[in-house]
Amino acid sequence: MSEMKQIKNLKEFSTSADRFEGASLLCPGCAHSIIVREVLNATNDDLILSASTGCLEVCTAVYPYTSWDASWIHIGFENGSTAVAGAETMYKVLKKKGRLKQPDRNPKFVSFAGDGASYDIGFQWISGCMERGHNMMHIVLDNEVYANTGGQRSSSTPIGSSATTSPQGRVSYGEKRNKKDMVAIMAAHGIPYAAQVSPNKWRDMVKKIQHGFAVEGPVFINAVSPCTTEWKFDPKDTMHLADLATDTLVFPLYEIIDGHELNITYRPKNVIPVEEYLAAQGRFKHLFKDEYKYLIKEWQDRVDEKWAHLQRREEARI
Amino acid sequence: MAKKGWDEFEIGAMLRTFDGKIDDIAGTRQEDRAYSQNSSYTASVSDWRLIKPVFNKDYCIDCQFCWVYCPDVSIISRDKKLVGVDMDHCKGCGICVEVCPTNPKSLLMFPEQAEEETVIANWPKKDEEEA
Repeated sequence: MSEMKQIKNLKEFSTSADRFEGASLLCPGCAHSIIVREVLNATNDDLILSASTGCLEVCTAVYPYTSWDASWIHIGFENGSTAVAGAETMYKVLKKKGRLKQPDRNPKFVSFAGDGASYDIGFQWISGCMERGHNMMHIVLDNEVYANTGGQRSSSTPIGSSATTSPQGRVSYGEKRNKKDMVAIMAAHGIPYAAQVSPNKWRDMVKKIQHGFAVEGPVFINAVSPCTTEWKFDPKDTMHLADLATDTLVFPLYEIIDGHELNITYRPKNVIPVEEYLAAQGRFKHLFKDEYKYLIKEWQDRVDEKWAHLQRREEARI
Repeated sequence: MAKKGWDEFEIGAMLRTFDGKIDDIAGTRQEDRAYSQNSSYTASVSDWRLIKPVFNKDYCIDCQFCWVYCPDVSIISRDKKLVGVDMDHCKGCGICVEVCPTNPKSLLMFPEQAEEETVIANWPKKDEEEA
């Protein structure tokens, strides 16, 4: 097994040679590439990557260009995770048969997918990968909407958000169903590691990714990815939105080991009211009309409840 | 590889990022890699920009926040020091300016046509109220 890359501080991290290139066609201020860079720079090992259809895939592989400096494949919307799982199985078999030219290189298998390709379309495939126990990592770039095709709702879209297929207007406040708890669902497979990360907490992110690379077996990572186009905020505020997401506890940062041992990895010193998170985004603008104000209170209650639930789980170790 | 026209797409395509063989990509800096013309490193998105970041090294403390949060790999950092901005790949989003912790900021956004020497000479002074 190769040695883990030592990253003590940000200066040390900045000596990494990027394996993801600029001039991809992602929007200015897109958090996808920030997450991808933090993930790829967390290791020096070889990488075998895939991306399911989504913003990341269509923007980084526009023929005749590719933004990836590692083996990378795209097949379909649903099967990015299984493509990597297949490569991982092949690698394992060839290693067992002694047919690898460099058997000690120990590559890492990572599949990237958006929330549409993970929460909805690729759900069954990812579940299969987690169940079969492949030695791979699946990373969801969770921007809570099908941003690539124009902002349709996904099962990750939270209540009150205005998406193109659940628009706000005279009769509706937008999306009516709450987001599904994907990390808990994946942890319930009994996988060795599942975690939620955010690009603004780079140290937490790198720690979790390195832990994920080190463990044997499938790893699921859910990364919040503020979307400047569909969340409707100024491109320069991407990191501000990520800060708000983690400090309002809308996206609490935690990890679940072996499906039961839950650790909260980031506790904000000052918890910010959810109202500020909602106010910063155009997709929640209508919630501040008088008739929908009650939804903001419901939001806060829901977030508080979730946080209390996580804390109780952490305490009880179940 | 010759570039193909719009009606000459291949159904399945494999693109090579590098010309020739690279053994240790993670240990090779970008300037030492032999990129092929299929790598987007050789492309440019500088025409997306309306405003551009200008780096003033006098105030920089090399905290590297801009490096880690740049979505387009456009902040060039070598040996733990910030060197400059890669203007071929910068889309002018302005995240680097937002995350810069110094006072005054060591990165600021200016209109694309602004001249670097002029704006550095007229750099804003320390904002006492904020400090």
